[in-house]
This record gives sequence, structure tokens and C-alpha cells, in this order.
Amino acid sequence: MNQVCADVEALSVLIAEDGAADRLLLATIVRKQGHQVLTAENGEQAVALFAERRPHVVLLDAMMPVMDGFEAARQIKALAGEALVPIIFLTSLSEEQALVRCLEAGGDDFLAKPYSPVILAAKIKAMDRLRRLQATVLEQRDQIARHHNHLLNEQRVAKAVFDQVAHAGCLSAPNIRYLQSPYALFNGDLLLAAYTPAGDMHVLLGDFTGHGLPAAVGAMPLAEVFYGMTAKGYGLAETLREMNAKLKRILPVDMFCCALLLNLSFQRRVVEVWNGGMPDGYLLPASGGEPQPLVSRHLPLGILAPEQFDDTTEVLPLALGERLFLLSDGVVDTSDENDQLFGVERLRRVLAANRQPALLFEEVLQALDGFRGRSRDDVSLLDIEVVEPQLSSPLPVIYSDSGQSSPLDWSLQFEFRAETLKRFNPLPYLQQLLQEIHGLRAQGGALHSVLTELYSNALEHGVLGLDSALKRDARSFASYYQMRNERLQALSAGFIRVHLRVEPLGQGGRLIIEVEDSGKGFNVSKVLARPVSEQGLCGRGLNLVRRLSRRAEWADEGRRACVEFAWEAQA
Amino acid sequence: MSDIHIDRKVLSDLQEVMEDGYLYLLETFLDDSEKRLSQLHEAKNADELAHAAHSFKGSSSNMGALALAELCRQLEDRVNNGPLQGIEDLINQIDREYSAVRQLYREERRRVSIG
Amino acid sequence: MAVESVVSQDGKKLTIKVKGRFDFGKHQEFRNAYEHKPARPDSVVVDLKEATYLDSSALGMLLLLRDHAGGDESDVRVVNASSDVRKILAISNFDKLFDIS
Repeated sequence: MNQVCADVEALSVLIAEDGAADRLLLATIVRKQGHQVLTAENGEQAVALFAERRPHVVLLDAMMPVMDGFEAARQIKALAGEALVPIIFLTSLSEEQALVRCLEAGGDDFLAKPYSPVILAAKIKAMDRLRRLQATVLEQRDQIARHHNHLLNEQRVAKAVFDQVAHAGCLSAPNIRYLQSPYALFNGDLLLAAYTPAGDMHVLLGDFTGHGLPAAVGAMPLAEVFYGMTAKGYGLAETLREMNAKLKRILPVDMFCCALLLNLSFQRRVVEVWNGGMPDGYLLPASGGEPQPLVSRHLPLGILAPEQFDDTTEVLPLALGERLFLLSDGVVDTSDENDQLFGVERLRRVLAANRQPALLFEEVLQALDGFRGRSRDDVSLLDIEVVEPQLSSPLPVIYSDSGQSSPLDWSLQFEFRAETLKRFNPLPYLQQLLQEIHGLRAQGGALHSVLTELYSNALEHGVLGLDSALKRDARSFASYYQMRNERLQALSAGFIRVHLRVEPLGQGGRLIIEVEDSGKGFNVSKVLARPVSEQGLCGRGLNLVRRLSRRAEWADEGRRACVEFAWEAQA
Repeated sequence: MSDIHIDRKVLSDLQEVMEDGYLYLLETFLDDSEKRLSQLHEAKNADELAHAAHSFKGSSSNMGALALAELCRQLEDRVNNGPLQGIEDLINQIDREYSAVRQLYREERRRVSIG
Repeated sequence: MAVESVVSQDGKKLTIKVKGRFDFGKHQEFRNAYEHKPARPDSVVVDLKEATYLDSSALGMLLLLRDHAGGDESDVRVVNASSDVRKILAISNFDKLFDIS
């Protein structure tokens, strides 16, 4: 009866048994089955041996002197910790109470006397299987934990790199509130905001398809385009075209980025909106009332080829105290246990019930928790209040050159004709050129605002012949911008000339900007004579130009604007 | 007949398992049993008595001393569940059974050592 | 099978039926439904009658299908979408790329 089997892996087995004959018999049986045997005469010895030698399986007599099997079992299980060390109690199966005590003390199985070598071998084998299973589970759990930590660390590093690229923009402006999970980047959510040189605010809330690294990969180039072009003074349309083209080029076919972009002008009190695939954002009235949805009218970014991409934006008038509220799809897509979606209606009820703007996020999250039965931390929310322009001041632009090589005595003239006006926005180029003049940098914001105003006046009221009176009330506002798009697309003739002259003046210098258009002109004295309060949404431009520049004049029946900026000697 | 006292099949299995250690096992059992018997006689309380009976039951069952194991089982049961009268008598029976068994194991030892 | 595909008798039309949640879990099955076919069908119909939900990765899968079927030249129709599913397709303006009914 040689039971040494090659297929049984040798285990270390601890036998604790009070009776010398039983101990000898058991040790011999177990040894013959190919295992290593340790023996103890009582519980105390068993615990000490276990601590020292860490056997794989323990056979314990219940009744032993000094320390009984129950206490020994408890101590051995405690020493074993998470690892499974099977304990087989050596006892006859007749006493119910004793069996219960064995199990409670941590026993895994029983072996009755007289010992049967066959049954003992089977039990040790079964216990070994359990032991290995537990060890595998623990190993896998630890491996998962290691991978998870590794992943978190990678995410942390990636986030740090991303933050360098995205540098949080102007999200810290006092009129912005936002909520975003620290892992938003890895949920594919993206929130960017930056001031344009003219002091407008560009905002992007985006959502890449998918999760994890693939979703985060597209965020960096998108942020770079957004910040780069915004800082250079590009408008929403050019920025959108560039972002779409870039994503289309770099992303696989099945990846794209839903995005809602805003260009908020606090000066002109308008917001330009482009929504491709994001849930409706809202323009919330200052005094309660019906929120105005900012509806998705476009395919997400990164799907259409550049020539098919539609950069048409909508323009809405803004009033002080109004707020723009944007959200990620996590809000309306939250589902309860019956797969019912939270949906737009529930969200609108929360918006309607809100009394204190500061509590809105809290109320939205509470409504989601209540609906779903548990909270979620992967939604992005953004709330921007319309404030007086000075309250949202652009960050100072940081220039990399010393300004020592500023050119100081030159002039040049551009003429932009119909085909160019349709697609091309020359302002960023002009602005970059003017940034070379060191003395003007302190007035950069004003200069950009004035240039933007003059150019859009020349384009809209001059070349396109749009009546500024159309912008007088909010209702005709939309049709004004619709008409603007239509006329621009149909444009076949006309021009805008921009003449820049820079010359020294005393210790400093001055810049004279002339913007001339091919339009019908306008009655300058009549428009300027209107009291500011009556000018409403339409006349703001001229006043803004006059306020921000040193001198502003209109000639040639309003067809030619001439504006001057000057600077003192440089320190 | 010895077979009332000892299961011969158990003994032959034990010899097969123990091989050279069989003789030593027999000696160990006999030593062990002397200790158990004195524990039975010197027990100061019911717990000690039950413990001794329990251990003696286990080892004698392993060694194939079936009648002895049965007497120990009865003693353990009586100590734990009563009635307590007649316990002395049961211990005396165990003494007598052990004397018979001891004789048989000694013969077995002789048989093997001459072997 | 949660994704079934049937080619019409004349081999010109491929119909793909998606059942249950149409999300990333169906990625492989959905690709298998149109890849490695002997001939490219003239038109593809995606039947969402039994689809309960659709997420952005499902939109990505539809784009892959469209690309496979010939991109701008493709004829891919999405039919029988429930109102919830249609809302998701509408937010993304996928009706500009697919014939949705």
C-alpha cells in the first residue's frame, strides 16, 4: 500500500494530536502520501510550529491538554491572515455540539477515528484545491490592485501634462462656476475657457466618445487648437474648422468629440453658440422664466471632412444677470434601475425650481442622486453669468520677446475682396502684426476690441448692407444673424480695406487705423447723436470704438473709419 | 476468541501502512493506554474523566480494539449525559477489557518481532 | 445572438439587427455582422427595433459601418429606432449622415 503519488504536490502538513499512537499513525499515513509532516502534542505547540514553519494544511485534535484544538484553530487562522490554511479537525462525527464549535473556530473539515488513509488523502487533496483557489484569488486581487494603482498613477501624470497644455484657461474667472470630476479627462469630458485678445470669452464643453486613454488622447490637440487660436484672436468659426479638421485627421473613424462652444462678448452683450452633439445647454433668464435651449444643430467634431464641415453659429443677445448653463450627457443620460433616463424634462424642472444660482449644481446633483438611488461623480456642469465687461478682465498676454526690435515707422494696406470675406477672418493676422509694437501692448485688449468692431461694422453694415436697426430687439436679433449668413454666402462683390500707419510721436508713437468698405455708408452724426440708452443693441459698436481709442472719426459718409492709438516713451 | 476484542483486519491494514514502524506503533499504543487508564482512575472531575475516555476511545478505535472503544464511548456518554450510577462498574469493565487486549497486542508484538 | 445579420436573396442588401443595449459590449459582434462578407452589399439597413439603448460608442460603430460601406457614397439606413434612441441620434445630428426612419 505505497501511496506516494507523483501527481500530488508535496505539502507541509502540521499534525497536532494528544495521543502518541494516533499521532504516530497519522504522521505515517500523511508522510506516505508524499507530504512533509510536522507534529505537535498540544495546541500551544501547534500554534508555535505554525508561526515558525507556515505549513499548508493543519490536522487538529479537538481535545488536547494545555491548549485545546478550538483555541489553536482560532490563533492559527489569525496568524494565516488572508491566506487560506485549511484546518481539518480530528474528531468523531457523533457530537453535534463539538462539530459546531469546530466550525465556529474556523475548521474547514473533519476526520473521524478510526483513520482511513483513503479518506484522509482525498480530504487533503480537496483542501489543497481550496487553498490554491484562494491563493489564486488573492494573487489576482493584488495584481488588479497593482494595475489599478499603476493606472491611477498614469492618469495622474497624464492629467498633469494635460493641465500644462490646458492651464485651466480662465475657468477661475469670478463669473464662472463649474463642476468637473478629477477624472473627467478619462471620461472623455473636456472643459476649456479662455479670453480672446479683445476680451471676449471662448468656452468649450466637449465629450469624446468612449472612456479611458482613447478618450483622453484627443483632448490635448483639441485644447492646443482652442487655446492657441483663441489667444491669437480667431473667431469661433475658424477655431471650429481647425479643431474639426485636426480631429478628423488624427482620430480613428469611430471616435469623435461632441462639443458645445460659446463666444461670449460681455462688451457687445451677445453670445455666439455652436453645438455639435452635446445635450442642450441653456440661456437662463435673470429673473426666472423659461430657459432658452442651446440646441445641437451639428454633427460632433472629427466626423466630417473639412470641406463638409458646417461652422454656422447662432448668435443670441445677452442681458446682465443672465446665465449660460452647460452640462455633459451624464446628466440627462443618468438612468434608474428600470433603465428609465433622467431626461431633459426632469432637468428643466430642476432649472425652473432653482432660486439661488449658487445652489444650482447642488440641486442638479441631488435630483440625479434621488433619481438613480446613488450619486455619480462623472458629470460636468458649467455656469457663466453675464456681467459688466470690466468684471471679466482678460489675463495679461505674456510676450516672449523683449520688444527691443519693435518696428516703429511703417504703413501698409490690405484689401479683402468678396471671396476672401466669405471664408477668411483677417483679424488674427492684423492683431499679430500689431502685437509687434511694444508700446501698444498695454492697450492690447482695447485695440483688439476696436479692430473687431470696425471690421464687423464694415462687413455687416457696409459690404453686406445689413440694417443695424434689426438688432434692436431680441426677436429680430436671430433673423439679423441668419440674414448675415445668407448674404455672406451669396457675396460676389465688395471689399474692405484696412490701412495701418505706425509713426514715432515725441518719445513714443502712434498707430492710425483706417477701415474702409464698399457699402452705402451711414449718417454718422445721426447715429452718434442718439443717446446711449436708445442705441440698444445696435449702436454700441461706435460708442465702444470712441471710448476705447484716443481719437475716432468717420469720413466718406460713414464708409471710412479712422481711429488713433498712441503710446508714451517706453520705460 | 481474540476477534471479540480486536478486529484483525484493522491490524493487518495497520501493519501494511506502518511497515517497519508497526512494532513501534504497538509499543506506543500500549504505553499510551497505560497513561489513559491511570487518567481514568485519577480523574478529579467529570471533565477530566470525559477527556480521558474520549482520547482512549479514539486511540483504541484506531488500533482496532473495538470492544474497548465501545466501552470508552459508553463511559464518555455517561459522564456527559448521565446517569452517573454504575460508572465505577464501567471503569472496571474497561480495566478488564484492556487486560485482555493488552495480552493480545503483546502476542502480536512477539509475532512481529520474531517475524 | 444580440446582433444578427441577414443578406437579401440577391445579395444586394445587408440587414443588421441589434437587440438590447447597443453599446461597446456589442463592438465585436457588430463588426462581425458586416466585415468579411463575400461581396459588399449596395445598401445596409440597421434595424434597431429591439435596441433599448444606444451610447456614443454605438454611434462610433455606426460611423465604422458607414466607412466600411463606402463613406459618403454609402447607403446606410437606420430603421425602427425607439423614441429614446431617436433622441440620441437627433442630438448628435446623425440624420445628416444616415437615413433614419
